[in-house]
Amino acid sequence: MEPILKVENLVKRYAKRNLVGMPEEFLALDSVSFTVSAGSTLAIVGESGSGKSTLASCIACLETPTSGTLWFEGTNLVQSAESDLRKIRPQIQLLFPDPAGSLSPRWTILDIVVEPLLLQGKLARKERTTRAFSLLERVGLAADMAERPAAELSGGQRQRLAIARALTLQPKILILDEALSALDCSVQAQIANLLLDLQSSLATTFLFITHDLTMAVHLADEIAVMSHGRIVEHGPSTKIVQNPSHEATQQLLAAVPRLPRSPWPAIQQ
Amino acid sequence: MMRYLLRRLAHAFLLVVSVSILAFLFTTLAPGNYFDEIRLNPQIAPETMVALRAQYQLDRPLPIRYASWLNSVLHGEMGYSFAYNTPVVPLLLVRAKNTLLLTITATLIAWAIALPLGVWSADRLGRLPDRVISWSTATLLVIPDLALALGLLVLTVRTGWFPTGGMASVDFESLSSLNKIRDLVLHMTLPVAALVLSALPPLVRHVRAAVADVLHAPFLLAAEGHGIPRRTLLFRYALPAAAHPLVSLFGFSIGALLSGSLLIEVVMSWPGLGPFLLEAILARDIYVVIGGVLFSTIFLSAGNFLADLLLYWVDPRIRTESTSR
Amino acid sequence: MIHQRRVAIWLLVLGALHGIVICAGFFAPYNPVEQDRKNPYLPPMRPHIVDTSGHLHLRPFVYPFHLRPGSFDQYMEDTSQPRPLKFLVAGGRYRLLGFLTARLHLFGAGNQRIYLLGTDAFGRDQLSRILFGGQVSLLAGLLGAGFTLLIGWCIGAAAGYYGGWRDDLLMRLAELFLALPWLYLLFAIRAFLPLTVNPLQAFFLIVAVIAAVGWARPARLVRGIVLSAKERDFVRAARGFGATDFYLLRHHILPETSSVLLTQAAILIPQYVLAEMTLSFLGLGVPEPVPSWGNLLSNLQQYSVLVSYWWMYLPALIMVPFFLGYLGLASALQERAETYKIERSLGSLA
Repeated sequence: MEPILKVENLVKRYAKRNLVGMPEEFLALDSVSFTVSAGSTLAIVGESGSGKSTLASCIACLETPTSGTLWFEGTNLVQSAESDLRKIRPQIQLLFPDPAGSLSPRWTILDIVVEPLLLQGKLARKERTTRAFSLLERVGLAADMAERPAAELSGGQRQRLAIARALTLQPKILILDEALSALDCSVQAQIANLLLDLQSSLATTFLFITHDLTMAVHLADEIAVMSHGRIVEHGPSTKIVQNPSHEATQQLLAAVPRLPRSPWPAIQQ
Repeated sequence: MMRYLLRRLAHAFLLVVSVSILAFLFTTLAPGNYFDEIRLNPQIAPETMVALRAQYQLDRPLPIRYASWLNSVLHGEMGYSFAYNTPVVPLLLVRAKNTLLLTITATLIAWAIALPLGVWSADRLGRLPDRVISWSTATLLVIPDLALALGLLVLTVRTGWFPTGGMASVDFESLSSLNKIRDLVLHMTLPVAALVLSALPPLVRHVRAAVADVLHAPFLLAAEGHGIPRRTLLFRYALPAAAHPLVSLFGFSIGALLSGSLLIEVVMSWPGLGPFLLEAILARDIYVVIGGVLFSTIFLSAGNFLADLLLYWVDPRIRTESTSR
Repeated sequence: MIHQRRVAIWLLVLGALHGIVICAGFFAPYNPVEQDRKNPYLPPMRPHIVDTSGHLHLRPFVYPFHLRPGSFDQYMEDTSQPRPLKFLVAGGRYRLLGFLTARLHLFGAGNQRIYLLGTDAFGRDQLSRILFGGQVSLLAGLLGAGFTLLIGWCIGAAAGYYGGWRDDLLMRLAELFLALPWLYLLFAIRAFLPLTVNPLQAFFLIVAVIAAVGWARPARLVRGIVLSAKERDFVRAARGFGATDFYLLRHHILPETSSVLLTQAAILIPQYVLAEMTLSFLGLGVPEPVPSWGNLLSNLQQYSVLVSYWWMYLPALIMVPFFLGYLGLASALQERAETYKIERSLGSLA
């Protein structure tokens, strides 16, 4: 099966000027390569600073890589013009870690969900609203909340709203950058279940960015481990967790707190 | 780090040069042939005219005039005053000295009052002392400095407590040294009072805001828990932490030393830079105007640069930022 | 919510004050350029209700002045001829808002003259001059502030959004303007332009000059907001849906600048009115005979006027209620902006 996404030797360097005016460089992605098949679920795991979020931004075309290629459905995203990218971006949606920052607080819930449809300008107003309501229902938000400002939602509800918004344009790839880290434990479980539910019902390819190995195993079939801007391990979730070969993976595994009766059978001692 | 400061210095220098160019540009907006007027001016002797024309290329196009002026600056002169028939620099220096006498005194007094008042206000935030101070500063703030200066004049005219203008009494020269100082102080009182009263409200408010921000910091609560007395807490712990915005403000105060007192000098007939420049502007005495504007700009840039220096010294965050990564 | 109400209260106060000045023709009894050469430097006529024989009159009245016998500039009240104040009288014609003509005045005394705030050297009614002068000074402040904010907004938004060399260039320019001693520059620009120019031209010249000098600070503030808004996730998310630069600016980024612009307006307007007053006071602003709060004060530079005619000082105080109103508005706006910030950060604690 032709992979929906092929990342080849992706490099991202950040150039910064410090106060004195001397340019400095920071290598965020150091020649990253992997492929993703359509409809699969891949988790990219690593500790802070490993480059996961940068990778997510590059795939979502919100940042321009310094070099390398990014094949999406036959197009090289790195070399595409801005006008083409604008058409491609809606198909690769990125969800941000902090739902509070990614939702305009003054807008109402309905407006937020409708905005992508408005931007694309393809549907009539009534159809937009219908689609919006069905999405809200899909993610578990009550329809009577639609007119409330987004500022009134709790963290879990905001994340649901962000997911709903990301799905409005029926993207081919959905990237979730630390989608659960900002939430309380109990809410995490709810959202995790929602994501599993969506995975089984939609044909979308899911990319999870997380530092939590247990969550990665729970949500994804494949895991890629990142460390210092490189992918150090890539394989099926169960295999990675039972037989970690790289030091970084082992460290991540060691960081998981071990409870006497763990609900995650895959990691039970 | 030295490089940071050198960069700021180069910046300031570039700024001053740009201002000089701008100032020259503006003078060419004057309609009519200014230099024909000069030629017709009977006060200027023909030999002087010829010498001036040679030195300053008076009837050549703008870039050449600018270049020759720049040349004279490098030799320590700044052009020639047509109204006074003398080089500009000595004239400006005398006047600038008078202005600085006023403004330095006023700035020192204003800060000396504003710091304790602001700190005290922040300490008693919301309670009576704070409200009294806030109300008084608000009242002063809404009175325009023009009204303040004129008001002080009216007051003094009615009561005769202070001289109503100028820098020295008529018989100044014949006074003894002690009396000379006394005379000077008497003449300075009104303008300094006006300057202090108009500068005080924003200063007090800024100090109050800056210190109030810092007072909530956990490190201060911890210090309080250690039993450190209140006054030490305020002045040796809180105030330094609030230094960043205050140092910038101080830089502004320094920058305004030459230009902030113009109105008050005019109203109180103080022979400073302000009235002198005004006169020159009305008389179209170009080089005096350019020289004066440049003097003020230099002070402003120097003030900003000083603020940068002080900030670097006072705020460790800036030091580490410039050397990290 | 409290903050909304406070803002509204200050707006109301300012609206009332400005309203009085806008309708200067109605509130002022006379035309500001009308001269009464026989009555120069008349002191203010005080309204009385009780006359010299102890009678209470329902309608307030004033006494005219006549020269004290034996002096040529001392006046005393002539208690033999009380002049009653009539309200809502028809008087001289004036234009409201520049195009409506009317003849109704708040008060007057028929074809006799009442000078509630005294007269100046040419016998012109000071009250009328102050009211009409306000139109000039306030308009200069409002227009100047409007232009400055417009220029600063555009430049700041462009610098913040596009970044790179454009940002560097524009911010260097802004630093240049901030470094200029603006009062001196104002004078220099004004003076090097034609000194004998008609009042209307002079007015617009001053407004243009004031506006051109002060754009740097608002530009820096707007740039800061645009820079930080650009990096906010909801802007990035909108880009993810295919938003154009224009859409982002219009719907997501620029609305963030509204509160800082409003606060700056409340701070700048009184400063600019004061700038006009200073210019006119020194003779570089609006010329005679058009009154402005500044040139009403300019004859106070003469010692004799300062000493003898205290009512000529009153125009200096007229600015105070306006300053107060703007100060209150600025504080209320700033507090409202603070609460928005707190609300937003608290909102993320779910």
